[in-house]
Amino acid sequence: MTEPKKLTTIQAIILFIALILTLFPIFWIVMTAIKPPTDWNASPAIWIPSEPTLVNFMTLFDPDAIRAYGVGGVSQAATSAVIGSIIASVTATIFSVAIGLFSAIGISRYAKNSKWTPLVILSGRMFLPAAIAVPFVIIFSNIGLTDTYTGLIAIYVAITLPFSTWMLKSFVDDLPREIEEAAMIDGRSRLMAHITVTIPLIKGGLFATTMFIFILNWSEFLFALVLSYSNINTIPVQLAKYVTATAGTLYGVQAALAVLAMLPLIVVGYYIQSHLARGMTFGAIKQ
Amino acid sequence: MKTEVAPEIQTTMQREVIPATKAHRNKNGRGVSRYMTVPGLLVSLFVLVIPLLVALYMSFTDWSPTRGTLLDANLIGFENYSELLFWDNRFLHAVVRTLLISGTCLVLEFSLGLGLAVLFLREFRGKSVLFSAFLTPMMVLPVVVGYIFWMLFQSNGPVNQLLEIMFGAEAAVLWFRSPSHAVAAVIITEVWHWTPLFFLILLSGLKSIPENPVRAAIILGASPRQVFWRVVMPMLKPVIIVAFIIRAMEVIKLFDEVFMLTRGGPGSSTETISLYIYKLAFNDFQLAYAAAAAFLVLIGSLTLIHLMLLPVRDRLLEGNR
Repeated sequence: MTEPKKLTTIQAIILFIALILTLFPIFWIVMTAIKPPTDWNASPAIWIPSEPTLVNFMTLFDPDAIRAYGVGGVSQAATSAVIGSIIASVTATIFSVAIGLFSAIGISRYAKNSKWTPLVILSGRMFLPAAIAVPFVIIFSNIGLTDTYTGLIAIYVAITLPFSTWMLKSFVDDLPREIEEAAMIDGRSRLMAHITVTIPLIKGGLFATTMFIFILNWSEFLFALVLSYSNINTIPVQLAKYVTATAGTLYGVQAALAVLAMLPLIVVGYYIQSHLARGMTFGAIKQ
Repeated sequence: MKTEVAPEIQTTMQREVIPATKAHRNKNGRGVSRYMTVPGLLVSLFVLVIPLLVALYMSFTDWSPTRGTLLDANLIGFENYSELLFWDNRFLHAVVRTLLISGTCLVLEFSLGLGLAVLFLREFRGKSVLFSAFLTPMMVLPVVVGYIFWMLFQSNGPVNQLLEIMFGAEAAVLWFRSPSHAVAAVIITEVWHWTPLFFLILLSGLKSIPENPVRAAIILGASPRQVFWRVVMPMLKPVIIVAFIIRAMEVIKLFDEVFMLTRGGPGSSTETISLYIYKLAFNDFQLAYAAAAAFLVLIGSLTLIHLMLLPVRDRLLEGNR
């Protein structure tokens, strides 16, 4: 494009309004998370808490903490949900990226002419999760995988594999294959050439992909909802349960859980923001 | 950015220097490396294809969990499908509603994202900080987004408070009691969540447009508006199509946000296809019927996406620009 011009006043105002609209919901949830119970559902709503407190966050791990404010305790601590989310997302991310890395190198280097391999893997994204959840629940209940982390992780790997494969493929595509051929001339096998040359050269991309897949796994809701009964739990499911079980009487505690859920993703997201488009578009859009 | 020697030169060099070395022999990918895609395909097979086949079989039966195993179920042919297509108003409404919500969201997200992206072609202070700020929504979990907006749209929540300040006490709305307002709440939520994706994609698309055609058009006396519509937009077209396909694939599945916001209510006025299938299967336990609905949707959405994909399929598969 031509040389950038300055913003006009009107454009600056538009930008400012857009910024406020973008950040207001996040401001609101953070403020709610530090409100004492008296401010939770006040009418008219209270924007800035009268006495900011961390009691909502403490209640997540100690259901009785909120009693100091004369509010009945929460029925269930969120500890199991936090641990469950960490177990499921981290494990599934490792598997998804590992398998995706193999597929990515395979597709980029050896399947240039085969269009169906990448499409089979990509097709996983086109199904309605609500639709494949039905057969999953049936199959899993027959082989004893419902309500287990193994089952949940297997599904997470399956649904994030298209993203990890395609995002990593776009990084491998950026490497000239002559680099690997040079290593092979030095006497290394193809596989060793990939391990010693390809993978180290895309480690930035590998890191971004890992973080991106973590975001997806951490956010997953539907499968965790239909596959968890009593043994397993994740933060999104817990958040949904809080809302139903208490019919909106525990705003602050729910908000605290929501903040806890989104905080790691915002940190990770900023870190890999230049790769987000690549991940979301399966590597088709680079930045 | 690529530091690549022209490929033809490279290959010629190698052909001369190393005829029939191991590397050369393996050119077609013999050895272990050839099977590198197998784990990925196996996962896709066991975790996607097989469940889908089970669901397909199930959709031709009258099975429900109270009738023993799936093998005990009666085959009833296309009965589920004809029921869905010709008699099930709730399903048809869910389909139309999902398409309307998806279409509205795509148009709004695209317009807002494009507007924002164009502003970001200008120079201003704090641009990189603002860029990060504008991306924040897409990093928030869908469930949390749904929950946040559920709070914002409470009858005594901040949205109503602002409406009252601006337009008087009558402007406050019971967002989750009236069907049209509930749909609006869903759309607003979804637009807030995903406009940043369009912004991000379109901005990178705009930045990658070569300078020369734009310069040439300006020199030839084109107005800024003409430059934008006649020169920039055509070059941006593949990027726009990719963005639309990616978002269409996701928005058609709309579930998490609606589940948190309205649970499909009031009545079934915000019930998307995903939510309807979820309720059929996991609240009413009509699993066979839900599977049939899922397949109809799958066929429909694959057709839609395929049609959208046609003009850019090769580009998406290559992953190169």
